Amino acid sequence: MDTPETPSNSAPDVHQKIGLLTRQLHDALNQLGYADKLRGSAGELPDAQNRLSYIARLTGEAAEKVLGRVEQAKTQHEYIAAETKRVLDALVKDPVATVAKGEIYNHLVDMERVTKEADEHLTEIMMAQDFHDLTGQVIARVVTLASTIEQQLVQLLVQTAPASALPAAAPAPAAPAAQERPHLPGPVVDPENTPDVVTDQSQVDDLLASLGF
Amino acid sequence: MADLRFLIVDDFSTMRRIVRNLLKESGFADADEAEDGVAALQKLRNGKFDFVVTDINMPNMNGFQLLAEIKGDEKLKHLPVLMVTAEARKEDIVAAAQGGAAGYIVKPFTKATLEEKVTLILKKMGL
Repeated sequence: MDTPETPSNSAPDVHQKIGLLTRQLHDALNQLGYADKLRGSAGELPDAQNRLSYIARLTGEAAEKVLGRVEQAKTQHEYIAAETKRVLDALVKDPVATVAKGEIYNHLVDMERVTKEADEHLTEIMMAQDFHDLTGQVIARVVTLASTIEQQLVQLLVQTAPASALPAAAPAPAAPAAQERPHLPGPVVDPENTPDVVTDQSQVDDLLASLGF
Repeated sequence: MADLRFLIVDDFSTMRRIVRNLLKESGFADADEAEDGVAALQKLRNGKFDFVVTDINMPNMNGFQLLAEIKGDEKLKHLPVLMVTAEARKEDIVAAAQGGAAGYIVKPFTKATLEEKVTLILKKMGL
């Protein structure tokens, strides 16, 4: 009957084995060229966090803007309804006096003003929907990043797995070295820390003016 | 001026609708839409348009490629192309100007900005 090893005897051995495995993994990553790639992908994670924060901020601002404008438009709508009822009641009660006092004219002028303001609210509500375009582009970037990381991790698993664990006819995925990092266009989510970008339309106009436009 | 026909090119239908509605509010009710550069070129070559408003970042054919196609086409090169895009890099703005774009607007933008740029471009064209 074997005598179980005491912890004091086995600990150094386990530590040695873990150390060896770590060294092997480190060497394997370096030899396979994954160390830099994974480091690169990991380096993009804060960027992904920035992009997700940007989406949260933009959608939040759009919601606030829409709700604010809807509240203002509803107040105006209530005003239109109340004023129309008041003038209509006056007209029914005493048509001549209502017209003579200019209440109809004043009401129409007032309505023209208020409906114009309400139209501005509707335009702003429409403009607030541009978050869909901007966040959509940013989401596409984050999805691309997630896909890249997944691909690299799967590749790492496949290439470091024991031969017995691999299906015989499993097709080898594309070599990571051949994968170029995709160009990720779209909105600048962190303009303060991004060189050579404009932050508003006036800067675009200034740049174009400097080019003779 | 109100008879001018616009082509709005953007892969996001929301943005196409926004631009279309803004142009309508500014008095330009005649507009058609395309979801990328390829569809835009097809419409431009098969129809009559006076003004192109295009995004840059689109699948199949992006705004820069569309601009190059338009400016390289004898029948289309007279068309003013206004870029409306989220691309805020200076090199993109310079590239658009050098490629023959008539104007450049960064998203998000306002109704006033779009109206101002369209009016300015039309004025430069004598329209």
